[in-house]
Amino acid sequence: MDLLTTSVATVESGSEPYTLVELVGEADVTNSDALREVLDAEVAKRPRTLIIDLSGLRFMDSSALHVILRANRAMDRQGGVVALASPREPVAKMLRLTAADQLIPVYASVSDASAG
Amino acid sequence: MQPSRGQPLPAPTNNAVYHTYRSDLSQVRALVLRQARQAGLTEGRANDLVLAVSEVAANTLRHTRSPGTLAIWHDEDEIVCEIRDAGTITDPSVGRRKPPPGASGGHGLWLVRQVCDLVELTSDASGTTVRMHMTLRQPRAAG
Repeated sequence: MDLLTTSVATVESGSEPYTLVELVGEADVTNSDALREVLDAEVAKRPRTLIIDLSGLRFMDSSALHVILRANRAMDRQGGVVALASPREPVAKMLRLTAADQLIPVYASVSDASAG
Repeated sequence: MQPSRGQPLPAPTNNAVYHTYRSDLSQVRALVLRQARQAGLTEGRANDLVLAVSEVAANTLRHTRSPGTLAIWHDEDEIVCEIRDAGTITDPSVGRRKPPPGASGGHGLWLVRQVCDLVELTSDASGTTVRMHMTLRQPRAAG
């Protein structure tokens, strides 16, 4: 089984569809290139909103964080928004310590994130 | 966490557990979590130690072509995780300053310093040793 699995969906919700990327497992330096490829591909489709569901993520290191911050910058440049949904406590703490949660909004659930 | 030179750290205690890693950091994290729980760290601080060790071990994969060694030991007062690898840290200020929000690097050792009670780092041409200490008594308020 892969350490990190990613799944991507376009969710039709209310007025506007959003892209949902779900991360399950452990995100670290050994799979951050693969994560970058997944996020780059979705950013390139220029969605208005990209929500990353972290509820299934047991661990995230600074390599994975940098990939997410990079996607956030790219989305910002093209007028889109990244949101993070339901991180478990170790991941949430890491987002707080690095102040990444001040750059990318963190929501308790995907539905909260999609409501903005 | 200034690298000190010419001052070897005291040897690990006899009950240390050793693990050599080349690419599988998940195993490293699982071992740290198991040992931290056994030693009596709270779940939150055990996860802090897992993050710290994983960040240092990730540097082994990023900056060296050789395996790293993890040693874990504890006594009544503290649990210590030590990472040794062949890398050399030349910047004495590494991890001392908080990277600006959104910085595309430099969070790893900064995080290590934030979550551990004490970090010792020695580095020279022969390699780098990082020791991460977590106090078992007098737990700090959760951060």
